Amino acid sequence: MNQFSTLLKYEWLNFKADKGLLILTSLALLAGLYGIYYGTSEIERQQENIAQLEIIAQENIEEMKDKYPGDADAGDLGYYHYTFAINEPDSWAGLSLGQRDLNPYYLKLRLLNLQSQIYDTDNINPLKILSGNFDLAFVFVYLFPLLIIGLCFNILSIEKEQGTLPLLLSQPIGLPIIVGAKLVFRIIIVFTLALFLSIVAMWWAQVVPDIRIVIWIAAICMNCLFWFGVTFLVAALQKNSAFNSVVLLGIWLGLTIIIPSLLNIYVAVKQPVPQALDLTIKQREEVHGGWDKPKKETMERFFIHHPEWQHTAPIEGRFDWRWYYAFQHLGDVAVEDLAIDYQESLRKRHKLANQLDFLSIPVNVQTTLNAIAASDLPSHLNFIRSATQHHDAIRAFYYPFLFNQIPFTHAEYQDEPEHSFMSTPDFTTANKGLVKLFISTLLVFIAGFLIFKLKGASVK
Amino acid sequence: MQILKNNSSQVVIEAKNLRKEYQGKLALKGLNLEIGPGEIFCLLGQNGAGKSTTINLFLGFIKPTSGAAYINGLEVASNVTRIKESLAYIPENVMLYPNLTGIENLSLFSSLAGFKYSDKELRQYLENAGLPAEAAPRRVSGYSKGMRQKVGIAIAVAKHAKVLLLDEPTSGLDPKASNEFSELLLNLSNTGTAIFMATHDIFRSKAVGTRVGIMREGELVEVLPASDLEANELEKVYLNHMHL
Amino acid sequence: MVRDIAKKEFLSTLRDSRFIALSILVLLLLLAATLVGLYSYQKQQEEREVAQQTVNDQFANSTERHPHRMAHYGSYAFRPRSPLSFLDFGLDSYTGSSVYMEAHRQNSANFSQAQQSSSLIRFGEMTVAFVLQMLIPLLIIFLCFGAFTQEKETGTLKLLLSQGISMRKLAWAKIKGYSKIVALVVAPALILVSVILFAQGNFEVNGDILLRFFLFILTYLFYFFIFIVISVVVSALNERSSTSLVTLLGTWILCCIIIPKASANLGSNLYTTPTKAEMDAEVHQEVAKGIDGHNSKDERAETLKQELFKQYGVNSLEELPVNFDGIVMAAGEKHSSKVYEEHFDELTETFENQNRISEYAGFFNPYLAVRNLSMGISGSDFNHYIHFLKEAEEYRYNQSQKLNYIQATQLGYGDKETRLSSDTWKEFQAFSYETPPARWALQNHLVSIAALFVWLIAVIVIGNKLIDKTKVA
Repeated sequence: MNQFSTLLKYEWLNFKADKGLLILTSLALLAGLYGIYYGTSEIERQQENIAQLEIIAQENIEEMKDKYPGDADAGDLGYYHYTFAINEPDSWAGLSLGQRDLNPYYLKLRLLNLQSQIYDTDNINPLKILSGNFDLAFVFVYLFPLLIIGLCFNILSIEKEQGTLPLLLSQPIGLPIIVGAKLVFRIIIVFTLALFLSIVAMWWAQVVPDIRIVIWIAAICMNCLFWFGVTFLVAALQKNSAFNSVVLLGIWLGLTIIIPSLLNIYVAVKQPVPQALDLTIKQREEVHGGWDKPKKETMERFFIHHPEWQHTAPIEGRFDWRWYYAFQHLGDVAVEDLAIDYQESLRKRHKLANQLDFLSIPVNVQTTLNAIAASDLPSHLNFIRSATQHHDAIRAFYYPFLFNQIPFTHAEYQDEPEHSFMSTPDFTTANKGLVKLFISTLLVFIAGFLIFKLKGASVK
Repeated sequence: MQILKNNSSQVVIEAKNLRKEYQGKLALKGLNLEIGPGEIFCLLGQNGAGKSTTINLFLGFIKPTSGAAYINGLEVASNVTRIKESLAYIPENVMLYPNLTGIENLSLFSSLAGFKYSDKELRQYLENAGLPAEAAPRRVSGYSKGMRQKVGIAIAVAKHAKVLLLDEPTSGLDPKASNEFSELLLNLSNTGTAIFMATHDIFRSKAVGTRVGIMREGELVEVLPASDLEANELEKVYLNHMHL
Repeated sequence: MVRDIAKKEFLSTLRDSRFIALSILVLLLLLAATLVGLYSYQKQQEEREVAQQTVNDQFANSTERHPHRMAHYGSYAFRPRSPLSFLDFGLDSYTGSSVYMEAHRQNSANFSQAQQSSSLIRFGEMTVAFVLQMLIPLLIIFLCFGAFTQEKETGTLKLLLSQGISMRKLAWAKIKGYSKIVALVVAPALILVSVILFAQGNFEVNGDILLRFFLFILTYLFYFFIFIVISVVVSALNERSSTSLVTLLGTWILCCIIIPKASANLGSNLYTTPTKAEMDAEVHQEVAKGIDGHNSKDERAETLKQELFKQYGVNSLEELPVNFDGIVMAAGEKHSSKVYEEHFDELTETFENQNRISEYAGFFNPYLAVRNLSMGISGSDFNHYIHFLKEAEEYRYNQSQKLNYIQATQLGYGDKETRLSSDTWKEFQAFSYETPPARWALQNHLVSIAALFVWLIAVIVIGNKLIDKTKVA
């Protein structure tokens, strides 16, 4: 143990004196701080936008009040008045933005047909989405492995290349202790950095302090350990530094980019998503066909779903809002199966990707972090589900005005259903991710030890 | 095969039928050797004769194909770490951590061997090995080969080992430093250190050695007591063996 | 002498089994990416063609409808993929594939591939462009990092120079040898792509596709050349192979991983994107100051009415030879489209400002210059996307106005009952989209083209200077 601490101490001296390593570590620190700033500012911007939406919604109400100064027909309001369904970011979302930049975090809803509103996207710059987010999760998933590779690719080979290994081994000390001490030293450095960045990020983002702190730190540390394990495994082959750096970068590239992209193709083929195009086209035919169908037939079909309005005043004349909203709703009913199918297949696709992510630790870690931050695809689908429920609530609110032909007064705006939704973290996925991460880490270390044992130590 | 005995009854460096094979080629063909405390055994031979293989076997850097090497009575191959407590080694080209100073390098290696020295003691060791005092606190990256060699000597000396293994230690040293080094070896030998030195330098072997061995193609072909010979006689014997 | 050295580099690399293994791996990925790209291209193209045909038929065979109902029934524009986009998906996976086009409303392009994928897609897509932009440079680095350092380490450099060859000549000889090797790795994939393009009838080969393909190849040849020269120069500047390799790998990470993401993020931080809700609200407010097509009692409608009365010399709406409903509707559509267009252009400008950071970063990072140019040539860049959206909007506007015209000329004032037969709808030209020509695509990427040329000249000039200054001993 005495030798071990001696080695640690001199690793520290070496580290302090090595400009390259210092620059590398400082860069990682800066990247991490930028990632924290970027992620939290992105979420702040979303929050500002969400606050803005409330103002827009309020303005819309004012406009309605202006437009209909007295009692209004609820039918007009259903057409011109809108509210927003909002997917509030979780306090952790800034640490791992996930799909929150890609999927809209709010939906503008009117009493009209839901399926023509629910797939609308926000203004997004595709180039920015393609380039991805420089958030803290990116720093941990992409850059920390590179930092670890940079710190460790020559952990053993440099001793051979600078010729210090023979002198070192002529001391009463074994190779495992030398490699172990160097590895432990680097682990301390990287863990310190990772913990520091995590704590800064949690403090900065003002996260809800719950069990997720433990899960996050466990995931981050284990991710680092996994990559240390990989460098240990490659060091065990006892090849030169050039070989190590190429092999390690190759492993990084394979796990971080090539395998995920191949998995993406596999998942897309294996779990096809029914074309949403069919859904929108069918829904349009249904809704616009509504104009041309006999009103009686439409209403009868509507009453099957809403028998409570069956005995209201009969529809007469060329146009009636009740009839209009009835066929709007029937448009949704007609494609309900398709819509469920579409969303379920997206869930299945996500699930399949999760099942395969043991093949790539970066994907696994990203999935885990997104699950904690509630910024993944299922979170968005939950939001869509919640928005659907909100739309039902809007209908339930307006139908009495329409069918009982009650005038809509200014006071009624206050009683409109309000939507509030925040995705809940997916602990099942996160815990599964941790288990997979733990097993993978264990496996690389065991493989490394075995190779070290098998190859023995050679000085040259 | 005769067993080459030393004069003393104690044996600290010993080889018993030591053989090493590399991919079917014998690098060392059954070496038998005993060296006692205070002895300086010089091993002469051309490049590739098996000198370094012998030293690496004593250091446990490589495993023998058959036979065994012993340091201080312990078999090397099965006590790879323990035997190093009692031996010191100076390679042909001493390589150190370039980002650390001479003092720090010495301190690191001594600590690993279990010796904690004060800064003053460390400087003293380096000075005794011939390193200029002003160079000691400077980074090794700026050292010449000779300066690194001197740090290597200091590391070996500071370890107070019973056995000293040297692989062409004077290559790269200027004549003055070489002479100082020879003196150092004699001093160490007087304190009872057994020294095994592989070298090209016939004259220095004669000057410091108690015995001189000549190695050719993995075989120890001749062992002579250094005191029996004149330097030019030794050279003749050596060249005879080489042209055989 | 140059030829001898180039040949020596070429042959000795071919004898390096590790390099051969890597090359085969890259080549296999390249071939796989070509086939996967073609497969997904064809699948999407087919889906979109079928969907487009379906909606076109639906429109043409639509039942008898009032023209304004028809305007709200609207149609869809499905974005066909540009022919060469199977080589470089560019933004295609992140842009919506369909736009619903109806009267008075500009809808977003919905259903992008990325929205239908799990987070996997965010790790990147296996395309030919990905292999060419990221993996081949890595292969080049591996090929060239020891170009000079190995000769220094083994001492052969001094031996070579003592034969009377200059460092500069030696460097160019090596560059020539390595270029041949890279060509050897890439050529089979290019041949496959050519076969796909020309032999199988997958594409209607025309001059424009040929030109784009030629430019595509040219761009990447420049790119590889730049990387080869950089690698050889870095190798000349370093004493040890390991430091040369680490320097080059660090550069690669910076250029291909960190800078692209950081510059895109910086862009979006600097120029705030308004939300669609905000933009729609603003458009709505500004339009409200104009004519509301559904409200002919509106003030501005009144002015319009008086103008018409004067023009036709009548005193009531019923006397007008044209239907005032249609006229008001057309005026409203014209106004709201103009307002929307202004805001859309503003949004596009915001995005372009955001993207400009990445574009100009091409002067510091050849990867970005090539990425932008490659997307442009393949027709999968931002400009092509906007081009499609604008075409769709133009079609939407014309369709609405044509229907308004029908309403104004064929229907009487206040007529909400008349329904026109489907023969009327058959006269409408269906939406069809043509990818703009290569020349147009290049115009949008002058910055990237300039960046690529600057790099090309810089590596040659600065490379030569640095090599001349290299210390041999």
